Amino acid sequence: MTESKVSARYANSLLGSASDKGNLETVAKDMELVYSSIKSSGELSRTLSSPIVKAQVKTSILDEIFKKKISKETMDFLKFIVEKNRENLLESIVKKFLDLRDQKLGLVNVNVKSAVELGEDQKKKLKEKFEKLLNKIVRANFTIDPDVVGGFVAKVGDTVYDASLKNQLEILKKRFLKGGASLN
Amino acid sequence: MAEVRPDEISAILRKQLSGYESETDIYDVGTVLQVGDGIARVYGLSQVMMSELVEFPNDVYGMVLNLDEDSVGCVLFGESTKIKEGDTVKRTKRVASMPVGEEMLGRVITPLGLPVDGKGAINTEKFLPIERKALGVIQRQPVKEPLQTGIGAIDAMIPIGRGQRELIIGDRQTGKTAVAVDAIINQKYTHTEEAKELGIKPVYCIYVAIGQKSSTVAQVVAKLHEHGAMDYTTVIAATANEPTPLQFIAPYSGATLGEFFRDNGKHSLVVYDDLSKQAVAYRELSLLLRRPPGREAYPGDVFYLHSRLLERASKLNDDLGGGSLTALPIIETQQGDVSAYIPTNVISITDGQIYLESNLFNAGVRPAINVGISVSRVGGNAQIKAMKKVAGSLKLDLAQYRELEAFAKFGSDLDKATQKTLSKGARLVELLKQGQYAPVPIEKQVISIYLGTNGYLDNIAISDVKRFEKEVLEFFEVKNNKILGIIKKERQLSDSTIAEIRKIADEFIAVFK
Repeated sequence: MTESKVSARYANSLLGSASDKGNLETVAKDMELVYSSIKSSGELSRTLSSPIVKAQVKTSILDEIFKKKISKETMDFLKFIVEKNRENLLESIVKKFLDLRDQKLGLVNVNVKSAVELGEDQKKKLKEKFEKLLNKIVRANFTIDPDVVGGFVAKVGDTVYDASLKNQLEILKKRFLKGGASLN
Repeated sequence: MAEVRPDEISAILRKQLSGYESETDIYDVGTVLQVGDGIARVYGLSQVMMSELVEFPNDVYGMVLNLDEDSVGCVLFGESTKIKEGDTVKRTKRVASMPVGEEMLGRVITPLGLPVDGKGAINTEKFLPIERKALGVIQRQPVKEPLQTGIGAIDAMIPIGRGQRELIIGDRQTGKTAVAVDAIINQKYTHTEEAKELGIKPVYCIYVAIGQKSSTVAQVVAKLHEHGAMDYTTVIAATANEPTPLQFIAPYSGATLGEFFRDNGKHSLVVYDDLSKQAVAYRELSLLLRRPPGREAYPGDVFYLHSRLLERASKLNDDLGGGSLTALPIIETQQGDVSAYIPTNVISITDGQIYLESNLFNAGVRPAINVGISVSRVGGNAQIKAMKKVAGSLKLDLAQYRELEAFAKFGSDLDKATQKTLSKGARLVELLKQGQYAPVPIEKQVISIYLGTNGYLDNIAISDVKRFEKEVLEFFEVKNNKILGIIKKERQLSDSTIAEIRKIADEFIAVFK
């Protein structure tokens, strides 16, 4: 629990300073890169959270990986985190930062699962529909999951918009089991 | 052979499923982070309400008890082995509730309102939340109607009124459940035509069994059936093998069902058997939810746990129908220690307590009520006048007897007055003994106590007191039924009634041997 509080505090201050300086876009882009690197490399996250590796070494590792790819402000922030011994929380700080940025810009992630690949037209329509419904800018991610059977399942935060055939079949099954329908 | 056409089948299917629509389902979800010991921590469910029901896979339901910064703590009403990490949890958007209605009478149900007596589904129309706020001051009125338990010692000296909360407290094996069950059985009278004529409203009973053996519950149900008490009684069973969360919510379910009757202008009696087990169940949940332990490892809010439950007992004002909910909580003490945490809490919440003691029980005084320390703080206003009149001297006589009891062993060395007090007291104690499942109607109680306190027993051997009482009451019933009717109707002892009672009693004593 304390972890999330700490990450929120760091993420918030980075967001604040970046928007004050007017370079939010660059920092956000850098952070996305950092996030995807940590996500993709288990080795990196393990090294960062290891208490055996010295802070200096960690700083130089981060320096070497990101130096030419990210701006100075972001690099300074990363170093600052290592200096404060919070590098084990780096991943959650970055995640929180991206979430907060989305919130600030009125962006929302919509994860859509469908049984078959949706056509471009369908995707566009779906996106527009959600934009209208949520009154926010939608960033849609489409994935394919054969378990859905038909239709789609869209997840926005904790809310699920379930228009899948699987769910319909399950409701039908429940209704039969409840004894509401009988063939006699 | 008859044939069934396929189009016929599909038509029936269509008809039966006509309510079925294929629309987009919108629901909130979370993910199980951790599960075990009947507790699940769930990530997500950001909009969930406190004490909301949530749906886990495999038809397991849970209730939200902790709202933390980034997770939600749930207790499970089913087996935790059916749930694994990463499972999806759905919101139901309703707080834990149960079906209520008169259809519940005569049934044995779980705290969530599902039948467990094998008598089929219960078709109720109404749902009420299990946790409800107790009524305020405006909606209430003072307790003023009696709730007869049929136990002489209680109805005379520790009277219970409708809407009261009277604690039954004692060690194990002292007859706590027996007192409560007798009280339920005695309500049978209130459902008769005769009671209706006399303006006595029927009392519906709810017996909540918390953390007891299933066999004990079955026994109670069988006894209630045997005495015809099941017709107006619902048994809510959260037995020892049931998940702890069910044991924790069981009393609240009982109160909800009782409130249904109360709010419809009816009267209800709820027995919570017993609240010490519920406190233990709540302690288990709280510790598993990592709430800090306090005294005796109970969490900080056990007092509130019981006070909010017992505060729901009430007598409504006449504008709201004048219904009532009487609560008889039971607490089991360990080795007579009433100064433990839970007993002191519940004693301070209730409007009085009935102490049962194991040494009295073993000495053959049954019900083993210690009338010296048992009190009823409001019931006196609800006593019928006749009983109030005779009970006054009974209380006094017994108090004097208790004071001198220690000297009883000096026997004939004592002066006349002391001996007289002792012999009278011993006879009164004998008179108040009563068998189980044998409640005595109020008018008979009045007569036997009147005779006891007015010296009619003085010349009868202690061993004959019970026989005398039985026979004299039979004599009244068979030969002089009128007098019983008068007491029942007038509810007081006028001088003429007293004269009549004395005359009949003298008549009887002349032939008694």
